[in-house]
Amino acid sequence: MTLLTSPDGATAHTGKPPHRTRHGRHGEDRAGSQVTGLRTLLRLMIRRDRWRAPLWILSLAALTAYFANAIAVVMDGDTLASMVVFAKNPVMGLITGPGYGLDDITIPRFIVGMYGVFLMLGAALMSITTMTRHTRAEEQTGRAELIRANVTGRHTQLLAALALTLIMNLLAGALMSLTFFFSEAKPEPFSSALLFGAGIAAAGCVFAAISAVTVQLTSFARAASGIAGAVLAASFVVRGLGDMSAVAGGDLKWLSWLSPLGWSQQTAPYTLDRWAPLLLSLAAVVVLVPVSLFLQSRRDLSAGIFADRLGRAHASSGLSTSIGLALRLQRSSLLWWSIGVFAMAVIFGSFTGAMQEGAAGMPQEILDLMGGSRGIVDGYIGYMALYFAMIVSAYAIIAASGLRAEESGFRTEPVLATAVGRGRWVLSWTLVTLFGSLWLMVLAGAGEGLGAAASTGDWSLLGPAALGHLAQTPSIWALFGLALALYGFAPRLQGLVWLAFVYSAGLALFGQMMRLDEAVLNTSVFVHIGQYPAQDLAAEAVVTLTAATAVLVALGAFGFRRRNLMTA
Amino acid sequence: MTTTTRTPRPASAAADHERAAISMQDVVKSYGRVRALDGLSLDVARGEVHGFLGPNGAGKSTTIRILLGILKHDSGRIRLLGEDPWAKAVSLHRRLAYVPGDVELWPSLTGGEAIDLFARLRGGVDISRRNELIERFDLDPRKKGRTYSKGNRQKVALISALASHVDILLLDEPTAGLDPLMEAVFQQCIREAKEEGRTVLLSSHILAQVEALADRVSIIRSGRIVESGALADLRHLSRTTVTVQVETDIPQLVTMLGVHDLVREGTQLHFSADTAELPAIMRTLGEHDIRSLTATPPTLEQLLLRHYGDSTESSESADGILAREEP
Repeated sequence: MTLLTSPDGATAHTGKPPHRTRHGRHGEDRAGSQVTGLRTLLRLMIRRDRWRAPLWILSLAALTAYFANAIAVVMDGDTLASMVVFAKNPVMGLITGPGYGLDDITIPRFIVGMYGVFLMLGAALMSITTMTRHTRAEEQTGRAELIRANVTGRHTQLLAALALTLIMNLLAGALMSLTFFFSEAKPEPFSSALLFGAGIAAAGCVFAAISAVTVQLTSFARAASGIAGAVLAASFVVRGLGDMSAVAGGDLKWLSWLSPLGWSQQTAPYTLDRWAPLLLSLAAVVVLVPVSLFLQSRRDLSAGIFADRLGRAHASSGLSTSIGLALRLQRSSLLWWSIGVFAMAVIFGSFTGAMQEGAAGMPQEILDLMGGSRGIVDGYIGYMALYFAMIVSAYAIIAASGLRAEESGFRTEPVLATAVGRGRWVLSWTLVTLFGSLWLMVLAGAGEGLGAAASTGDWSLLGPAALGHLAQTPSIWALFGLALALYGFAPRLQGLVWLAFVYSAGLALFGQMMRLDEAVLNTSVFVHIGQYPAQDLAAEAVVTLTAATAVLVALGAFGFRRRNLMTA
Repeated sequence: MTTTTRTPRPASAAADHERAAISMQDVVKSYGRVRALDGLSLDVARGEVHGFLGPNGAGKSTTIRILLGILKHDSGRIRLLGEDPWAKAVSLHRRLAYVPGDVELWPSLTGGEAIDLFARLRGGVDISRRNELIERFDLDPRKKGRTYSKGNRQKVALISALASHVDILLLDEPTAGLDPLMEAVFQQCIREAKEEGRTVLLSSHILAQVEALADRVSIIRSGRIVESGALADLRHLSRTTVTVQVETDIPQLVTMLGVHDLVREGTQLHFSADTAELPAIMRTLGEHDIRSLTATPPTLEQLLLRHYGDSTESSESADGILAREEP
């Protein structure tokens, strides 16, 4: 048989040399080699994120609109003045910011100072998740290989992801400026509102660049997000310490300048209106992006920058039950959280001494707010217990979503194909996380107590600090229970637990300040146990929340036993 | 489609039902509007190697996952070793091992750890057998899950399954990604498993593998079993491809019972013959001067294509096309 047509014959008839049509000119090729296909990939990413990106951007804008309008409606001159008293205490400095303009407060200044940093956290999280999703996660699943096998450059995917993330941040920043400017807060001039939005977007952009580096380090998407998240947490803590010092009139103010969140906050919209600190953000992006490109050229596709080592040929005796497997899979995350939580607790605890000294000069109103007659130290430690309960809740919720990641990664199927029942698998995972949360709260309490005792010289603080932190654990468990119940019945909706978390944390942190109704406040899981040693512990709340956890976990296991498994 | 043959079910159906390794009757499973299984009936006797064939998306994996109790069926009756696989999943899983077609391993666990873990979770590992299999499959058990190629991940699941003393092996395209040498090792292992009296349900695309291993074969199409039986029986229903080189034409063939798709190419005659009519045809041919004759029994591929081929196409023409493609 003879082939009647051949591809080569067809090109020959056009009269053009085939190599030119196929490869183009050599010079062009070389110029575009590392970033070829950028536009196509960017379009692909926008297509993949056509719901996700608008949702992030609109949520940030909606949150801004909510803060701005709610505060403007609730506050009048008097309430604002009393809020300032509250806002001026160092603990609020730790959580919110450097407190610019508190001496001559206006509603826009209050909103910017109190809520700005939370919007920055939101933008940073948006950046970290978007970057990881489009770079390392793609490599881990092997899809990046398909992309790279086409006419795309080595850096195209990374740069397209960066472009997408920067665009998302700029859009979010612009939209936040607009919603803020047109809110009930009526902030004038517009340039300050623009600075506010630009500061938030700048924080987001810096964390996009940080993620561009962290996704080069490890071959796992989760670990890459985790490292970037740790940098975010460190940035928050470092600027928190600096801001606390600034509010208390200490000499550690410079710490705020070491944090990307600090740079954005130092713009002080409506007070100082400085654009210059954003140059630091810009410089960070300009430095970090080439670093990420350099690291990327130094490694293979799908690999981290460290080579894999050989491991054990046989499983250890611990790895023979479903609990053993759950522990093994959560082990490294728990280890890193342990280090982070303990270090953070010691640092926060060691500020107790400064707090005690500062208390001497504080007005009675603050003392009352911060824990009444037992004094500011108890109040601080009690408040920190609540604070760590929130942090460790994030650990528990992430661990719960790990259960879902196991299933959607098709690794649960072979486990359930052995003699491990569904209930047992869910309960094994649950037990590890519940004990993990308890363990982290013990570490937080111990660290806090050690720091406090060392800085004040009062070693009797150790016991109450440990107990106060430990006692918060059931509220963490309850959130984990909710995550697990969602996993059992509607795994796709498991992310809703983050809403419950943000809602509960928001009410516990700001509910009183916003003078919300007791009944509304009580819907937060964090307000029931009591901030020991400043407040009494509510034993019945501990029992109720533990029981609620048991019920929710049982519900989750029940739902998981009834539904189909996600399969390939 | 054409004739559907089922294994003849004796009068004592209920007792047989309990004795069979796998028994599924009229099983239906829908994902929303999509009917993945549409009245599937499948019987696998204890101790047999049963080939499970079908195109992508026909419902092979769904069937196996229902047998694992990982997916819940909508209606129909299922017994695995006489038990309900959904309700008795855990106790049944002590007696079976499963190898999926696409093995996902934990990136941070080594292959050796994963092998041990699966076998222990199933109820115990035979260390010497495990080590022997690692040797035979040429696997480095010290590497992390993320560093394995697809074929090596597949080996991890296979070794773990074969190292356990279980009654049933559920294998869902178990050698996808294995090289031919490892394929040979796999076939040897399955033969050993059969000698030890284990039941094997082998879903596969590799027809040579099924032809070499399976006692019986079931063909699934669009969620139904369209053909089931011993390979020899299935062949009997199909046609033998015959090529004869002749000096002169043989006009009788045109009208002969059981001769189909007769084509002449120069001095060669091609046709397909009903296997049952083959003796009569051969006698007729014997009366003529024949230079050479090749008779090829139907391959599994031909059997399959009768069912896979476009449903509007008759089985005759499907066979006819194939006959000419035979070497």
